[in-house]
Amino acid sequence: MFAVGLWGAQMGGRPVWTLPVTFPLIMVAGGAAGMFGLPLPGVEIGIALSILALGSAITFAWHPAEWTALCLIAAFAICHGYAHGAELPFAADPADYIIGFVLATGLIHVFGIGVGLALNKPLGGRLARGLGVLIGLGGVYFLVTALSAA
Amino acid sequence: MSQHSQPHEPPSDVLAAASKWSGPALMALGLLAAAAIALPPAAGRSTLVWWILSSALAPERILPLVGLGVALALVDRRYSLGALALFGGGLAVGFFRKDWLLSVLEAIPRATSHHFLTGPISTVIVGVALVLPAARLRSWFLLIAAAVAGSMLAAAIEVSDPSLHDIAIPLAGVVVAFWIVAAVSLTVRAFWRIWFPIPARILGSWLIAIGLLYGGASLIPKQKSAFPPPTEPTPDTFRFPEPDRLSPELEPQDRPGARIPPDGLQQP
Repeated sequence: MFAVGLWGAQMGGRPVWTLPVTFPLIMVAGGAAGMFGLPLPGVEIGIALSILALGSAITFAWHPAEWTALCLIAAFAICHGYAHGAELPFAADPADYIIGFVLATGLIHVFGIGVGLALNKPLGGRLARGLGVLIGLGGVYFLVTALSAA
Repeated sequence: MSQHSQPHEPPSDVLAAASKWSGPALMALGLLAAAAIALPPAAGRSTLVWWILSSALAPERILPLVGLGVALALVDRRYSLGALALFGGGLAVGFFRKDWLLSVLEAIPRATSHHFLTGPISTVIVGVALVLPAARLRSWFLLIAAAVAGSMLAAAIEVSDPSLHDIAIPLAGVVVAFWIVAAVSLTVRAFWRIWFPIPARILGSWLIAIGLLYGGASLIPKQKSAFPPPTEPTPDTFRFPEPDRLSPELEPQDRPGARIPPDGLQQP
C-alpha cells in the first residue's frame, strides 16, 4: 500500500491520484470474491509478488503508460482485497472491520504519496529509489515465505 | 452610486476571520459536546445519549456525512445550497414517507436485518459524487446524492429509534447530521486549496469501497465462528476390546468358571 503511493508520487502527474483511487475500487472485486468464497489460488504469492514488483518499479524508477500501471495495481488490489474479504464473514463487526481496513489502506497510500513527494527532489530521487530497494527485499522475503508455505 | 448600494462591498477583517473560522469552531464545539456526553459513566446515560453515541455517531453514519460535507465544499455555492436543501428534503421524505421508502428498500436481500442497507447506499452514492471527474457533472450528481443521503439517514434514524415515539431522537439525529455536514463543508471551504479535489477523489474511492464491501457483507449470512482447526488423531496405544471380548493383555486372566453361562444361573 505504501509502495503504491510512493510509486504514484515518483511517476508524478495523474498517477499520483489515479493509482490510490483505483486500488480500493478494484479491491472491492477481490473482497467480494473472498467474501463469497470464490476460489483464487496463490493469493499470498500474489501479494508477495506485488511487493516485489512495486519495489522493483520504484528502484528502477519505471514510468510506464498510465493504463499499464493501473492494470498492475488492479491485479495486486484483487489479491489484497481477496485476503481481507475472506476474513470478513468471521469478523465480529463487519462494518467496523471494513471501515477500518479501507481507511487504513487509504491512509497508508496517502502516507506513501507524502513520502514520495518529499523524497522526489533530494539527491535526484535516490532516497525514494533506496526505499524501493528495501520494499523489494521485503517482497523477496514474503515470496520465499509464501512459496515455502505453499 | 451610494456606498450602501454597492453589491460587492469587501467584508471587514473581523467578518472575514469569523467566516473562515466558523467551520473549525463548529467542529470543535461539536467534538466538545460529544466528549461531554461520552465521558460520564455508561450506567447513567439516558436513552437519548445512548442512541446518539451508538447510532447517530456510528462510523457508518458519520462517513457519508463527512463525504457530503467535502462534496458540498467542492462545488459552486449555488449547487452547495441546493444540495443542502435537497438533503433536508430527503430527510423529510424519509420521515414522512417512511413506510413507502422501507417497502422499496425491503426488496434488497437481507436488507431488513441491516438497517435496510441505508449506510452502504448513502456511502456509495456520496463516494460517486466525490470521484466524478467533471466539475459540472459532479455538481448535478451531488444534488441527487444529497437527496438520497438525506432520505437514507431519515430511514436509519427511524429504524434505529429505540423509543418509537420520542421526538427528541429524530431531532437529535437531524441536528448531528447537519452539524457534521456544515462543520466539514465550512472548514474545507475556508482552507480551500487548488489540489483539494485530488484528496476528495481519494476519499470518494474509499467511501465507494466501504459501501460496496459493507453492502456485500450484508448479503451473506453471518458465520458465528471460524472453522475449528483439524484435531490431531488420538495415539493408538491401546486397542479397545470388542464387545464381549477382553483385550489381549487380559486374555490369560480370563479363567473358566468365572463367567455366567449364556443361559443364566441354574437353580440347584
